[in-house]
Amino acid sequence: MPAEKFIYETAGMQAGAKAEARAIELLRARDPQGLAAAYDLYASPAFALLVRITRDKIVAEDLLQEVFLRLWNHAQEFDSNRGTLGIWIMSIARHLAIDHVRSAQNRFSTKLRPIENADAPCFLRNPNTEQSRITDQQTVRDAFATLNAEEKRIIELAYFEGFSQTEIASRLEQPLGTVKSRIRSALQRLRAAVGEVGQQ
Amino acid sequence: MTHAEMSELYELYALGVLEPELAAEIERHLNEQCEYCWEHLRSAMQVTAALAGTAEPVSPPRALRRRLLDSVRHGRPAAIPSFAVFAFSAAALACFVFFITWQVATHSTQKQIDALRHERDQLRAAIEVLSRPETRSVEFGKTENGPHGRVLLSGNGGIVFVGSQLPQLPAHQTFEMWLVPANGAPKPAGLFRLNSAGDSVNVSPLPLDGSTKAVAVSIEPERGSNEPTTKPILVVPLG
Repeated sequence: MPAEKFIYETAGMQAGAKAEARAIELLRARDPQGLAAAYDLYASPAFALLVRITRDKIVAEDLLQEVFLRLWNHAQEFDSNRGTLGIWIMSIARHLAIDHVRSAQNRFSTKLRPIENADAPCFLRNPNTEQSRITDQQTVRDAFATLNAEEKRIIELAYFEGFSQTEIASRLEQPLGTVKSRIRSALQRLRAAVGEVGQQ
Repeated sequence: MTHAEMSELYELYALGVLEPELAAEIERHLNEQCEYCWEHLRSAMQVTAALAGTAEPVSPPRALRRRLLDSVRHGRPAAIPSFAVFAFSAAALACFVFFITWQVATHSTQKQIDALRHERDQLRAAIEVLSRPETRSVEFGKTENGPHGRVLLSGNGGIVFVGSQLPQLPAHQTFEMWLVPANGAPKPAGLFRLNSAGDSVNVSPLPLDGSTKAVAVSIEPERGSNEPTTKPILVVPLG
């Protein structure tokens, strides 16, 4: 099976780069069909990510709306030379969900968040390359399963909970150097898995 | 930092775990349009985005798609439960009109009348902003027992803060709203107190420009301040 088809079908994304390009074109023309197309492509994986991070389907529904409204409201600013729609959507979904969880945890905390960086980084240069597509879930799960328990926990804290390396080290009471090396090692294995799919 | 050193960091950057100083250095470099580094970042983003695939698959309710599309077709963002907010505001206004009448009839002190008129005017202004098609809403707080509410933003000017469960303040203090830019000092955007229903509404006519990144609320002396003198009790990023 061609890599592109494999990637999109197993990820539940029935269309490929053409569908995404068409969605962007319609979104820029303020055509709701563009939003519908983007939603059909990415709402399910984005919702799964939102539920995973917030652990609350009601909140995840609100945030999913917010993700797609941002897309609708900022479609003119979206630079397809710098990124794929899919990764942009997943990146926004992740940041919104982590922000929500943190704001719920720190409702009375008065620390200003680094607002400027809230959505960064969310672009890729070339949306039409194999590497720039979201990889299939099973491959990533398989790769994730090869990580040891410590590595899994660290990656979960980083990706799903948004902790920095220093925060993870403090939370797990491990030396910062150990956390760094475990993150690198885990990412290396995930990178290998993602790369293999892209080369099929 | 050399390219070789930076290429070691892109996955950490994409994962969001990099120390702020290093992340800032990478962002500065990316802003210089370095093709080599953009390629590395693309690869790194691919790896981190793939992590989303480890989440258990779950589909959003079908009605959500319809709601979203209906809202943009009618020119009003779905994040604003427009009917609900409008209906709530209209009902609140009606209650206030009744309450004013009742208050005037029973406790007709000028101070009370002025306060209630101010509340009425705030609600009217809030409804006016709500009725604009371009108005969008940013929700803050999700629990009933903590501060929660919405900030309504109109591109043509007008920011409405609607909050509930804010703390009670002594008479010598007030809430002050601030527009927080990406850089520079927060701009004062109005004083407000809890209204007679225990909620708070503040309407600022200040134009909302692209530099405003958040709305904040702090507790200030009764007459307000030109800059925050206490840590804000709320910061609502505008996205």
